[in-house]
Amino acid sequence: MTKVEAIIQPGRFDIVKKALIDAGVEGMTISEVRGHGRQKGHKESYRGGEYSVDLLPKVKLELVLQDNAVDTAIQAILNNAATGKIGDGKIFLYKVEEAIRIRSQERGAAAI
Amino acid sequence: MRARVQNGRRMSLPEKFSRLCTRLRNPEWRRYGGTLFAGKMLGLGLVLLIMVIVTGLFFTHVYAQTGTPEVKAADIVNPINTAWTLIAAFLVFGMQVGFTMLEAGFCRSRETVNVLVECVVDTCLCGILFYAVGFAFMFSHGNGFIGYHWFFLQGAPATYESTGVAFLAVWIFQFAFADTCSTITSGAMIGRTGFVGDLLYSICVTGFIYPVIGHWAWGPDGWLALMGSAGNVFPSLGTGFHDFAGSTVVHTIGGFIALAGAIVLGPRLGRKFKRDGGQPMLPHDLTIAISGGLILWFGWYGFNPGSTLSAMDFEGIGRVAANTTLAACAAGLTSILYGYFKMKTWDASYTTNGFLAGLVAITCPCYWVSPTGSVLLGGIAGVLVIMGVDLLEWLRIDDPIGAVPVHGMCGIWGTLSLGLFACGKYGATGPLSPDNSAPLTGLFYGGGLQVLKAQIIGSACVTLATFAVAMVVMLTVNAMGMLRLPAEMEAYGMDLHEHGISAYPEYVISALGAPGGMTQELPVAGAKASVAVGSLSRAVS
Repeated sequence: MTKVEAIIQPGRFDIVKKALIDAGVEGMTISEVRGHGRQKGHKESYRGGEYSVDLLPKVKLELVLQDNAVDTAIQAILNNAATGKIGDGKIFLYKVEEAIRIRSQERGAAAI
Repeated sequence: MRARVQNGRRMSLPEKFSRLCTRLRNPEWRRYGGTLFAGKMLGLGLVLLIMVIVTGLFFTHVYAQTGTPEVKAADIVNPINTAWTLIAAFLVFGMQVGFTMLEAGFCRSRETVNVLVECVVDTCLCGILFYAVGFAFMFSHGNGFIGYHWFFLQGAPATYESTGVAFLAVWIFQFAFADTCSTITSGAMIGRTGFVGDLLYSICVTGFIYPVIGHWAWGPDGWLALMGSAGNVFPSLGTGFHDFAGSTVVHTIGGFIALAGAIVLGPRLGRKFKRDGGQPMLPHDLTIAISGGLILWFGWYGFNPGSTLSAMDFEGIGRVAANTTLAACAAGLTSILYGYFKMKTWDASYTTNGFLAGLVAITCPCYWVSPTGSVLLGGIAGVLVIMGVDLLEWLRIDDPIGAVPVHGMCGIWGTLSLGLFACGKYGATGPLSPDNSAPLTGLFYGGGLQVLKAQIIGSACVTLATFAVAMVVMLTVNAMGMLRLPAEMEAYGMDLHEHGISAYPEYVISALGAPGGMTQELPVAGAKASVAVGSLSRAVS
């Protein structure tokens, strides 16, 4: 089992979600996060003082999938989340040790 | 059964008469007769009624009034003026909502509950204090510095002085003003004032500082109001100190007490100033803040026009309301334009402080200036307030909502502007009509420096006295260890520490406060789950 963690532009999230569901991904966890990459953000001003806005809003998707479903999911994300501009985001892959369904205590492949 | 013809000929009168007598003996005939008679009487009455109506409609004579019952002016005028005063009082009280929203919106979410509770409690304290001693100190006769009658509103007359307005209506109107001043003072002290310290200084402000210093300008024998005439201070000056609705009495006093408090308290933890590379802390809810500002503007329509205490001076109240509007509009525009010129952004807080500064500035001169004058002095206030914000930032004074520039500094500007913009047409308001026999004329209208000098003297005395007394009060409360919240408590969270809750309880990750959360009972299968968890934890360890 593999965990796919994707950090994408908030404006592309609806389309990515639809594409993932169409691709057969059944479960996901979404969080609203802030962050930046190599670029540092920009300066704003309030009440005569300047301050930096260097943590930009993003959406993080976390999916735990069977190994054979990972490539389809990644392709769905890449096709729909990329705008070609700075700030498109990143995808990380992790190995998952175990997965358990709380309702029925099923483990492994039956749990995801 | 009528027999007009009997025996082939008509009946004679005696025959009819004997027939009548016979019939009268018959009860059934008597009933017929009675009904007929009643009908004839009804018909007669109807005819008479019609005659009366037609006569009345077409032929009535008009008689000269020989004597009308006497209605004294006071019987009509006093109720009208009292109703006007009360409406204004309610509007000014409505400003409390505006202040609460403004302060809550401009501070951070971690200190919001403290602002809300302080606003409510300060209002309640103000009511009781103003009833007990405040109104007495401020508006009763005394020695020119302080009044000493009507404590606890005892022994008060039915109407207040020569206004003819009900005494208690004047009380509530002035209570609302005192409440405004009290709320202004808390504005620069947000986020680091201990609640008990706030109670203590509020008692001093509403119970003593505001009423006593206010007496000088607004008391019936106030020395600043009476100044400039024979037998009073500066007799050669020729005119007293004028403050129509309180640029000095309410706003300068409030603003400079706030300044004293902010200086003694020091800035909030973590606040870095621009000259040290930092900047003002960000507001947490601009929606509430700016809506609150607009509610304040709305309430100002009671604050300024209501200060005539007279609806009979109808031109006066119309003029004051219009002047108030124009000053606010002008200031709102000049402030945001000046802000754009400085920072290349259209700053929301600048325009809010701007129109409030315009309102504060027009509060003193509103009765005596023309609409054009209002636009000019409001426009200047809009720029002054932004400069004031920058000045405080440079002086390293943390004023989250700009209470000192808006109320203190523009209160002084508004007071002085009377000496420049008083247009020479209006004198004093009155319960029956205005008295324009001795109009106020400012420098720009050819009136010379007389009014300006009086305004400078009044404003300076009030400002310096207020600041001095306020510094004493704040330093005393601070020395008692109650003014500033201890640093660990401020870091932990002012709202949590003083009030036990945050303004937005979603901070608690628990079914109690979470947006989607709701405590749910486990089904009986809970026993199975605990066994599985036990085996899992054994496997992991």
